[in-house]
Amino acid sequence: MASNLVFPGDAIAGVNIPASKSLHPASGLYRESSSAPILSTLAGKLEQNPKKKTANVTAPNARYIPRVGDLVIASVQRSSMDFFHLSICPHIPQAILPQLAFEGASKKTRPQLKTNDLVYAKVLSASKNMEVELTCVDPSTGKSEPEGLGPITGGMVFDISTGLAARLLSSQSIAVLEELGEKLAGGFEVAVGKNGKVWVDCPESGIKGIYAVGRCLQETDCGKLQQSEQQKLVKRVVQETGLG
Amino acid sequence: MPREAELSNIERTFILEALAQNIRLDGRARDDFRNLDVSFGDDYGACAVQLGKTKVNTRISAEVTKPFEERKFDGIFTITTELSPLASPAFETGRQTEQEVIVSRILEKAIRRSNAIDTESLCIIAGAKCWSIRADVHVLDYDGGLVDASCISIIAALQHFRRPDVSIDGENVTIYSLAEREPVPLSLMHHPICITFSFYHGGETVLLDATLHEEQARDGEMIVTMNRHGELCQIAKLGGVSVDALILLGCMNMTVTKVKDITELISTKLREDATHRDVGGLIAELSAQNDR
Repeated sequence: MASNLVFPGDAIAGVNIPASKSLHPASGLYRESSSAPILSTLAGKLEQNPKKKTANVTAPNARYIPRVGDLVIASVQRSSMDFFHLSICPHIPQAILPQLAFEGASKKTRPQLKTNDLVYAKVLSASKNMEVELTCVDPSTGKSEPEGLGPITGGMVFDISTGLAARLLSSQSIAVLEELGEKLAGGFEVAVGKNGKVWVDCPESGIKGIYAVGRCLQETDCGKLQQSEQQKLVKRVVQETGLG
Repeated sequence: MPREAELSNIERTFILEALAQNIRLDGRARDDFRNLDVSFGDDYGACAVQLGKTKVNTRISAEVTKPFEERKFDGIFTITTELSPLASPAFETGRQTEQEVIVSRILEKAIRRSNAIDTESLCIIAGAKCWSIRADVHVLDYDGGLVDASCISIIAALQHFRRPDVSIDGENVTIYSLAEREPVPLSLMHHPICITFSFYHGGETVLLDATLHEEQARDGEMIVTMNRHGELCQIAKLGGVSVDALILLGCMNMTVTKVKDITELISTKLREDATHRDVGGLIAELSAQNDR
């Protein structure tokens, strides 16, 4: 995997971009038309994976911009006839979520969501000049699995950087979570939103467990901790809360 | 229209439940302040304060103007606060939010109306010329504790500021540039510091230096301004839950110690900055001031 630094507007040249027309610009990249050069929209690291034929620009603290297929944690602002209007991030316009886009929802069984309730949803469409549309079911199967989409109850949501959220969502393992999994009796549950939110629930250790997970994640994020530092942090926090 | 992210229902419930078990999200005790850092710029009167994730920059400037007709012997001191969208999506330029009004009113009350700055010393010629000192407060990042951070930055910047020296010869006033004469510090009567208390669970739980999330979940707040001698300058309790008198007394005692700590930190930072500037130990010789 090769990587180098790019700035917004830089042309991504000299990479093994296949000439195929069905090329989808990944996060941080933009192309006016299929013949135009691919440009970077972010200041960050250009990552290329020649095997998978992918390239994207990552910037750990960039603002979240909705893209199709992203998992997000959004909060309900209001509901109208057929839609819930949700806020994904305060700096972007509200997104819509059809009231029937939940697993097993019909006119009679649709969920009753109040203002400021949270929903774990997937971005269905995100195009220019249009409202972002979210869904809580897989359109092909009609099921909320495997991501476990739907209204969120219990637990706590913590703010993290978009970079860490992307890392948590990719299959990379993160030392701090592995370590916490060993230390906390009964384990814990997390759901990560690409908009920089992570939901944590810890049924066995209760509030202290949730607090420990959230604090470890946030400190790892702010301090950009290395693996050994993360392990030390977990040890310290678990000891402080009296869980270990 | 961009708006502030409101606290979600599960966050509010969790924060309140955790507080009942004496847990704050960042692991602090109830009466702990976040990390406070005060730093000064190259120019006199430029001060940056960082309180946790909240960042405030203050700049003091001085100009010579005509004093107000009804206050011929007094100089002018003004504080302007600016909350830009840079700090939070809740702030907009050109439109004052309720919070912005409250912040500037409290700062006005705490610093200007408690006579922290001796405005009579700013007079040059009575009724004709005086100094107008202006403090510009810029909020760069917002994570709660705005009044506390702004107040600390104004007080630190005022202590750091030096105005040009003047001499009066009859009707003629000469203002000396920084190169001609060593500038003189402002005469400050005292250094008021604001401390914000947040109340939860119907006034039972008291928190110091709440973060933005904690502020959004609170039932009421109280801002107390005090100087290091324990003299109370103002109390603002704008609505919210009613609080027991004994708890309030506890708050006051807490304020005394916190204000002492913060004042101490500011003077340490000022001393560090002074030694940094004092290349070759020449400042003492350049100054025309007498020791008091």
